[in-house]
Amino acid sequence: MILEITNLKKIYGSRTVVNVPYLSVNEGETIGLVGNNGAGKTTLFRMILDLIRPDDGQVLSREENVAAGDRWKDYTASYLDEGFLIDYLTAEEYFLFIGGLHNLSPAHVLDYLKQYEEFFNGEILNRGKYIRDFSKGNQNKVGIAAGLMQHPDLLILDEPFANLDPTTQIRLKSILKSLKHNRNMATLISSHDLNHVTDVCDRIILLEKGQVIKDFRKDENTLRELEAYFRSNLLD
Amino acid sequence: MLLIFLNHQWKAFWRSKNKGGTIAAQIFMGLMVLYLLALALFVGFMLKHIVGSLFPGKDVMLVFNGFILYYFAIDFVMRMQLQDLPTLSIVPYLHLNIPRSKIVGFLNVRAAFSAFNLFPLILFLPFCSTYVAQLYGPLIATMYSLSVISLCVFNNYAALYIKRLTIYNTGLIFIVMGAVAGVALLEYFKIFSISAFSNRVFSVVILYPVVALVFPLMATAVFWINARYLRNNLYTEELRSGEEKKVSTDYPFLGRFGEIGTLAALELKLIFRHKRPRSAVIMSLVFVLYGFLFYKREVLDKDVFGMMIFAATFMTGSSISIYGQFMFGWQGAHFDGILVNKTNFRNFIKAKFLLFTISSTCITLIVSLYGLMSWKILMVQFAAYFYNVGLGTVIILYFATRNYKSIDLSKSAGFNYQGVGASQFVLLLPYFLLPLLIYLPFQLAGVPYWGLACLGLIGLISLSMRRFWVEFILKEFNKRKYKIAAGFRELS
Repeated sequence: MILEITNLKKIYGSRTVVNVPYLSVNEGETIGLVGNNGAGKTTLFRMILDLIRPDDGQVLSREENVAAGDRWKDYTASYLDEGFLIDYLTAEEYFLFIGGLHNLSPAHVLDYLKQYEEFFNGEILNRGKYIRDFSKGNQNKVGIAAGLMQHPDLLILDEPFANLDPTTQIRLKSILKSLKHNRNMATLISSHDLNHVTDVCDRIILLEKGQVIKDFRKDENTLRELEAYFRSNLLD
Repeated sequence: MLLIFLNHQWKAFWRSKNKGGTIAAQIFMGLMVLYLLALALFVGFMLKHIVGSLFPGKDVMLVFNGFILYYFAIDFVMRMQLQDLPTLSIVPYLHLNIPRSKIVGFLNVRAAFSAFNLFPLILFLPFCSTYVAQLYGPLIATMYSLSVISLCVFNNYAALYIKRLTIYNTGLIFIVMGAVAGVALLEYFKIFSISAFSNRVFSVVILYPVVALVFPLMATAVFWINARYLRNNLYTEELRSGEEKKVSTDYPFLGRFGEIGTLAALELKLIFRHKRPRSAVIMSLVFVLYGFLFYKREVLDKDVFGMMIFAATFMTGSSISIYGQFMFGWQGAHFDGILVNKTNFRNFIKAKFLLFTISSTCITLIVSLYGLMSWKILMVQFAAYFYNVGLGTVIILYFATRNYKSIDLSKSAGFNYQGVGASQFVLLLPYFLLPLLIYLPFQLAGVPYWGLACLGLIGLISLSMRRFWVEFILKEFNKRKYKIAAGFRELS
């Protein structure tokens, strides 16, 4: 198990934002997290990444509490929002910095980036622009590529498809699928796009008001089921 | 790793968005710091002679010993108010493969880069290495230097630690401030003297140099406590400089002005929910005390109102000039939103007039208390008040349509030159000079009271023309609104 969450709670004021009694993620699993705004997806991610202190419970990554040590950082990569980027660097500088953290030489990093030329669509590298001056979609690409470059065993992406152009969305999906098969990488993705989630993921977790209300393997009916759930919310 | 962090900080500084516009201000600040450092160096080397001439007959060492802890006590209070917490810059590193201890180490090293840490060293070390060394020999001089450096480190991390604690617990700030005030009062009433205490401590150090090792121990302890606290609380949510509570939502009084009132209320919320406009407004209240500087008995007796008009214009219009000089720029971050929304720009401009009028009226009522000194002051102030609400507001708003720089609301106002351009300085000149120009001919002709009357009258006439002025500002605004919006987009 790459992740094991027990009794995890986060409370803001009188509102319980996340309340997960138990949740586990196996190695190599691709999980899609869906739920309306305020369901607690991002808060859950932040607690998994030790960016927020839980009010109760813990997150174990390969049997180690993420809040107690740094070992999980060796195999976990993530991109939640633009705050993760060092926005006054150029994209190259940022990639070299991240690569350096994982003992990749500059030559290695630049070589690695070659395979993403298509993904970047010629808009990221050698533009002499700081990350903060990129559009949101391109910032997204930098963050995701920097995450993939770390060769993680666990990748956490918050709404990776948002702000991406349709071509890049398709490319990202194929990259995620191939990494899962080639490297047995576990992935946690949150998304509002049910089509993409059901396409990429093999397990879906449905959150509502901080609680897991559904957790199931994907099959051919999944998309219809999810659509039915979200439509039923409409009727209430 | 540390070097990479520092390299990033360096890049962040040089690549910061506001740098271009404020390079002149930065050079100015740099020169100021250099000047102060040079001054400190001079004082440091000349301390012996300075003490000799300031306190003739007193023992130089006695004065110096008493001064050390006194300096660091003041230094501590200053740090509590002015020193920044280096926190937010760590956000992009937290999720990366960087051990927490290294990030904490970076925060601690980063905190050492502060002008506060430079001044005491430049001020004290020359004296320690020359005078003290000559008098008591190298060992004691070294111990003195060590004490000074340690006190500096102690103050640095103690202030940061307490500041961090206050984020959690706002009540603590009152306890600390109360303690400081208590010590200050004891000092004032001569019950407890910091300098006497300091003297005693350092006379012990001269006798038993080993005692000075207490200071490095204290410094290390505080450094360690601070580092441990950071390691355990390295969550940006908790390190952020205090989540702001929701304040003052409704202004029923403004409701009667319809849409204009709504827009004015919106702006009031902007002011009270952000640090920089809030401190700008508080600053303008502080200027109410200007009267004590400018309203002099002899000037009043001689009926020479020139400088008084300047002061009165400044006081009654302080909110207009200090807040108004960045007008529209305050709303820079959401200016596009204002443009695309169904905002009636005539009302938008009227709302600004309304706000200016209300604030100027309130301040004028407050400063009317100066009238207790002399009725002449009241006359000057009301003339200035009419000028402010009648004409001053128009001048400020006209120049506001030529301001293309947005303001970063989250920063504090003191020593903040972000968004300050040449136009700001230019704009304040006509605003302050005009009342003097109106008044001066009458003064020279020997009828100063007519000058005041004329100033007030011009203000009143202008006030009655407000409808015309609104149209005028609206026209100017429409002429340049694309340029304003483009400028704001660039910076915000």
